[in-house]
Amino acid sequence: MSEARTTPALRWALGEAAAGWLLAAPAATALFLLLLGPSLALIALSFTDWELGAPGLRWIGLDNYAELLDDRTFLTALRNTLVYVGVVMPISIALGLGIALLVEGGTRLRAAFRAIYFLPVVSLLVAMATAWQYLLHPTIGPVNRLLGMLGIAPINWLGSSDWVMTSLCAIGVWENIGYVVVLFMAGLTAIPSELHAAAEVDGARSPWARFRLVTWPLLGPTTLFVVTIIAIRCLRVFDTVAALTRGGPNNASEVLLHVMYKEGFSYFRIGYSAAITAVFLAVVLALMLLQNRLLDRRVHYA
Amino acid sequence: MIKTSRRATLGLALGAMAQPALAQSGIELVVHYPMPAFFKDVMEKVATEFMEANPGIRVRYPAPSPNYEDGVQTVLRQAVAGGLPDVSFQGLNRLRALTERRLPVDLSPWLARDGGADARGWSAPVRGLGHFGGIQAGLAFAASNPVVYYNLNLVRRAGGDPDKLPTSWDDLLALSGRIAALGEGTSGMHFRWGGDDWMFSALLYGYGGRMLTEDEKDVAFGGPEGLAAIRLVDRMVKEGSMQPLTVDAALQSFYAGKLGIFAGTTAYIASMLRSIGPSVELRTAKMPVINAARGRLPTGGNAAVMLTRDTARQEAAWKFIAFATGPRGQTIMTQGTGYVPSNTIAPTEERYLGGFYRENPLFRPAMEQLPISQPWYAFPGTNGVRVTEAIVNNLARVVEQRATPEVALADMAQDVKRLLPR
Repeated sequence: MSEARTTPALRWALGEAAAGWLLAAPAATALFLLLLGPSLALIALSFTDWELGAPGLRWIGLDNYAELLDDRTFLTALRNTLVYVGVVMPISIALGLGIALLVEGGTRLRAAFRAIYFLPVVSLLVAMATAWQYLLHPTIGPVNRLLGMLGIAPINWLGSSDWVMTSLCAIGVWENIGYVVVLFMAGLTAIPSELHAAAEVDGARSPWARFRLVTWPLLGPTTLFVVTIIAIRCLRVFDTVAALTRGGPNNASEVLLHVMYKEGFSYFRIGYSAAITAVFLAVVLALMLLQNRLLDRRVHYA
Repeated sequence: MIKTSRRATLGLALGAMAQPALAQSGIELVVHYPMPAFFKDVMEKVATEFMEANPGIRVRYPAPSPNYEDGVQTVLRQAVAGGLPDVSFQGLNRLRALTERRLPVDLSPWLARDGGADARGWSAPVRGLGHFGGIQAGLAFAASNPVVYYNLNLVRRAGGDPDKLPTSWDDLLALSGRIAALGEGTSGMHFRWGGDDWMFSALLYGYGGRMLTEDEKDVAFGGPEGLAAIRLVDRMVKEGSMQPLTVDAALQSFYAGKLGIFAGTTAYIASMLRSIGPSVELRTAKMPVINAARGRLPTGGNAAVMLTRDTARQEAAWKFIAFATGPRGQTIMTQGTGYVPSNTIAPTEERYLGGFYRENPLFRPAMEQLPISQPWYAFPGTNGVRVTEAIVNNLARVVEQRATPEVALADMAQDVKRLLPR
């Protein structure tokens, strides 16, 4: 009957599919339990008015999202986060690439330079924030004293709404640059030196021409990776804000994750906080899609 | 030296076996507290002395919360997820939120025992600090009010008299302006307006104002008292040369001897004494009086809240609360922090704090201000923390000189009104 009709080929295909599912099952289960499940729960929560500690919750549809559009704090945070990504990502990638080229071009102390630039990445940022707080202190901080010697009036780096984002961006660059340097140095060592020699023979006399024609295209995969990683690191900026400014003064340094934390765990509005997180996820996804569309096509995988 | 013999070893083993049985007959009390920077040493000492006096009860402290906001969050989370402590110390302005979620156990039955609360030092004003929604939600442990800290070295250099420190805001602002004019990176004053609405309420109460109307349906700080209070903040910037510093930055300046005047809670005393550098000569003074007849000050601090529903554990929890808020517990707390005791027996009796206040004048101003202290106002509904934020954000605009007091106050009133329960 039915068994008689199944051909050996089909049975073999089914068996292979089953084996495939079986082999993928542990990873798939973990993926669902740790990533997809919570994300779905989060999106479901964002349609409710649940408050931490409240006995019940109500389905309120898109109300949370509608409120977001009206929420000055959230809009400031969204703008600040995008500014932060727009400033910190290009600067740290450009500077990081420059430093990596210089270190790689030099002959001595490569490991030492790599270690020095990588130090900020391995240090605990919350502890480093305290050091920054002292460095940038308006009256007793060394930065302002140095500027004072040059005749520049003291700047209230973290306390004034004009300067606070600039200061946070500068700390962001300091924090990310070492990471970029190390990644680019790894990418540079993978480029065979014969290619540079060949390019020189073929008429690429200036170092700039060799960089443009050989190094830069071959760094494509590394660059894509660096852009992706640094964009995500910038988007999730939180610890410097939480440790140094708490979003102040008057929300001037508010960022997405800090607003999410405040709404959820200071104001107890978990539903609203979930809606902010959903927006955050959407921004991350959009950015990743854009990068892959734009960059992946041009990347030359050797 | 103890000689190791077979009998001793056997005895040791038997003793070790008996230990868990003994522990089982006792109770392990889980107690949660906030702000370890202020309270860690005090809490350890309270627990040690309490366990000596009550051998059947063991006190265990899980990780403390960094501030009152985190403290109330922790407990609310545990109320949902399980793992509530038996006793928790909660900010006086957060008790209302807990009571509205029906978490605290009413302490009235225990207070009525043993000759009544008044006889044991918990007077009516003390009880009032922890009374919400018709129940005794908590019993005040540490109470504070705002005081003014001076660095006398800077006061002298600016031509001030250390024995005649300002008693009015006019004099204080003038002194602050003179200290700021000394140069070399000195600043005049910092009024701790950031963080929460407490110091703003100190000015508002000082003019005799109040946060909300009697029926709690509308804001009451939008009137003349509120305007006077926020104008005073504006004058601190204009006449006192106050910079828009974060609280941490201001404290660092003060420790380093670069800030002349710091106005904030009396609770800082012990940590100030630990942190100030050699160039600081510390003196505390009462807050300048604004309206001698109607002026009041807010009470900060925290209260012990009973959370366990288990009757056997409740007895042990009460014993701990009674010890911590009793004369001995309050003596430990006052000496280790800077807070004012919330037990009337402790400061009067010689064996507790009688001599301490004579010998430690830094602690006196807060004690002397107790008669004009009233509770820290807790906003109704679920938006309490956001209301606080709205007030602080609008104060920031004035301190940064980005809005006039009139505009900032109008926005503040509007923002807060939107957040009140309808």
